[in-house]
Amino acid sequence: MYRIEADRARFREIVRGRIRQDLRKFLSTGELIGRCGEHAVSIPLPQIELPHIRFGPNAKSGGEGGEGESGDAKGGEPGEGQAASGAGNQEGSHILEVEVDIEDLAEMLGEELELPDIEPRGVKELSTEGGRYNGLHNSGPDSLRHFRRSYKNALRRTIASGLWDPRRPKVVPIPEDFRYRVRNACEQPESSAVVFHMMDVSGSMGREQKEIVRIKAFWIDTWLRSQYRNLEVVYIVHDAVAKVVDQHTFFHLRESGGTKISSAYELCLKQIQDRYRPEDWNLYPFHYSDGDNWSARDTEFCITMLRDEILPRVNQFCYGQVKSAHGSGQFKKDLDNALGEEDRLVTTGISDRGDIPVSIKSFLGRGR
Amino acid sequence: MKIKSSLPAALKYQALVIESAARDAGLDFFEVVFELLDASAVNGIAAYGGFPVRYPSWRFGMEFERLEKGYSWGLSKIYELVINNDPTYAYLVRSNSLLEQKLVMAHVYGHADFFKNNVWFAPTDRHMIDGIGNHATRIRRYVDTLGQEQVELFMDRALSLETLIDPYDPIRRLQQGVGRGGSYTPLSERARIALDSLTSSSLRGEDAREPALAELRGSLPTYDVLGFLAENAPLQPWERAILRIVRREAYYFSPQRMTKVMNEGWASFWHSRLLTTGGLLEPSEILDFADTHSGATATSGPGINPYKLGIELFRHAERHGEDIFRLRRVHNDVSLIDKLADEEFTVENLVPAMTVRAPAGPPGMQAPGSGAEAEAQAGPTWRDVKARVLRDLAWGGLPQIELVDADVDGQGELVLVHHHDGRDLQLSTTGETLKNVAALWGAPVHLYTLEEGQGRMLIAGADELTSVETQDAEERCRGDAA
Repeated sequence: MYRIEADRARFREIVRGRIRQDLRKFLSTGELIGRCGEHAVSIPLPQIELPHIRFGPNAKSGGEGGEGESGDAKGGEPGEGQAASGAGNQEGSHILEVEVDIEDLAEMLGEELELPDIEPRGVKELSTEGGRYNGLHNSGPDSLRHFRRSYKNALRRTIASGLWDPRRPKVVPIPEDFRYRVRNACEQPESSAVVFHMMDVSGSMGREQKEIVRIKAFWIDTWLRSQYRNLEVVYIVHDAVAKVVDQHTFFHLRESGGTKISSAYELCLKQIQDRYRPEDWNLYPFHYSDGDNWSARDTEFCITMLRDEILPRVNQFCYGQVKSAHGSGQFKKDLDNALGEEDRLVTTGISDRGDIPVSIKSFLGRGR
Repeated sequence: MKIKSSLPAALKYQALVIESAARDAGLDFFEVVFELLDASAVNGIAAYGGFPVRYPSWRFGMEFERLEKGYSWGLSKIYELVINNDPTYAYLVRSNSLLEQKLVMAHVYGHADFFKNNVWFAPTDRHMIDGIGNHATRIRRYVDTLGQEQVELFMDRALSLETLIDPYDPIRRLQQGVGRGGSYTPLSERARIALDSLTSSSLRGEDAREPALAELRGSLPTYDVLGFLAENAPLQPWERAILRIVRREAYYFSPQRMTKVMNEGWASFWHSRLLTTGGLLEPSEILDFADTHSGATATSGPGINPYKLGIELFRHAERHGEDIFRLRRVHNDVSLIDKLADEEFTVENLVPAMTVRAPAGPPGMQAPGSGAEAEAQAGPTWRDVKARVLRDLAWGGLPQIELVDADVDGQGELVLVHHHDGRDLQLSTTGETLKNVAALWGAPVHLYTLEEGQGRMLIAGADELTSVETQDAEERCRGDAA
């Protein structure tokens, strides 16, 4: 059973195309049709069939044969046509969804975007005391005696002192020969992180903009979850005031009103100070907006707060500006002008869904 | 009698009761060892073809993935696994209900009796658990020295030829051995000899004999293409060893392919007989039993359900006063159906399965090509249906490929002939397979076949494939060799 896991891993590597490219031509994307409540769901089941001599129809006859084969190929087609119309007659079989393990997703995302594994920040602050018995010392309790090293010493000493007799290979250890394992403290990076998703829900953020934020937030969560054992997510929405909401609200809320970005930053900072001290947590605030702020003064306040309070505390602050019909996009420019030097700040512009991977890569590609 | 301790007391008791009922009914089997495992462990063993240890291959991983997904989505479930071995190992799934376990155990005793007594299983190695374990060890050693990629590439190539064996060959040899009188060696002894030959010097390549091609003609024609290649192709010692291993395992599994219907039918016949007449069921279990049993033997979907067809065959035989124990000893699927399926039986059991055609079904149980559809519309007679069932089951459901020449035109090229029975080969996969044959043999390979009545010759090199129309394929392929 444990070996079968290795075989399964190998199979998955082949399916993903990382090894044995020669098998790709035998790969077919099969599926199981499962049932989930009332819905039929398609469970992807890639299959690789090694070639065998077997019976089967030849839809397109003899591609390699060359001459005069095209007529045959046409002749073969009615069969396919029938099959197609047969499928059309089956009404009402709606197949939904594709099931992929979330871990697989994260891994595939990482491979696809070439994301680096995140380096633990400030090892000293974030390390926890761990220890392994991988050191040696010449004194210690018998229970930690390292037999092999002790024996080696004894043997070496025996031979060096000329007492070694190959016919009577006897080794008698003396106390100086003994070696004992000792515990070496080693630092293990603490693996907890918190993500703040802050979204502007003012009137100018439309359905499409929210959808883009939703997709992005999902992928970012997925990636960070693969990197941290313990990930917490805080959702903050803001218009003129900010509040912490649950996940469902975050993705479904539609509000209208003005925009005061500083309100969100203030709330985020308060959360950091109250609950997620940077000594204990890796912090990833993300802010999504269409770039329209209430006033230039508020923008200035935001910049000050970022520079003085937030950036020093977080691993990375990401600002994603979703393009909307109404937004001016001024906020990103202001941030870039004022804080362009800060390498903890990443800003990206997203004009449509196609930009999502690029923007994720710019957020996560630095391995902070 | 010992039963592994992993079986809880309640099940152990049931196993003993059912075993004695089975013996009273006349079943005869090796000791049966039950092991109780989690579904995922059983899936793992099933992916390995029923064995706890196999050589490493992504193919088993693929099968495991399929079983695991099917199980976790509630689409398919393995009730039990039995291995043809002495002692006979059977794996029970922990999540089965008590009734299901009883049914499965009775079923297992049926299989165990069949394995021991059916003549097609007589040539098989009864210590195959060890055999397969040894194969695994050996191949892992090759992986350690040569690297996984190299071994796996060759393994995949060899596995693509695993169907190119002669399913009748082992029993023919066995009959010759017995017929000569006195020279019959017990199975366990033969197993040891087989194992010795595997580990002996010949395998380590100390004999670098290269028989002249002309000499090889003596052993031709043969259906045992794999065996021919394993002995005569210019291979590295480790390659030859792998080819022999693949061949040996293919021959071990081959009888199961040829007696699928009988084997399942016999086991189903006995689980239903033992449980319903032996007083082994609580009254409260009767309905659940009927439900589970009819689930397994339902004619659902297209094609033949071996459980259903098999159990009907044996019941039919019993009604007609046949000695079913004798039938289960001497027949395989084809000969048993041929003997028993009269008009009444065919109309009742074969016609429904063969004339309902749906898009998907188990391969081999379904007649491909447009000819079958035309037949169905014209209303085939019961004899036609029976003939088609027999044809589909013949040769283990595989195409008959015969090696007729190993040195055509003095160029050392192989010539294979497909004995055409009305079903065309799938030329693309056939072509890929032939490339693998050519890569092993080190020279081009020719295959004569028919495609929609037109003679065709495929010529494969290790990396290339050409296909030409030819006239002389006709007579070579039409002749039924069997």
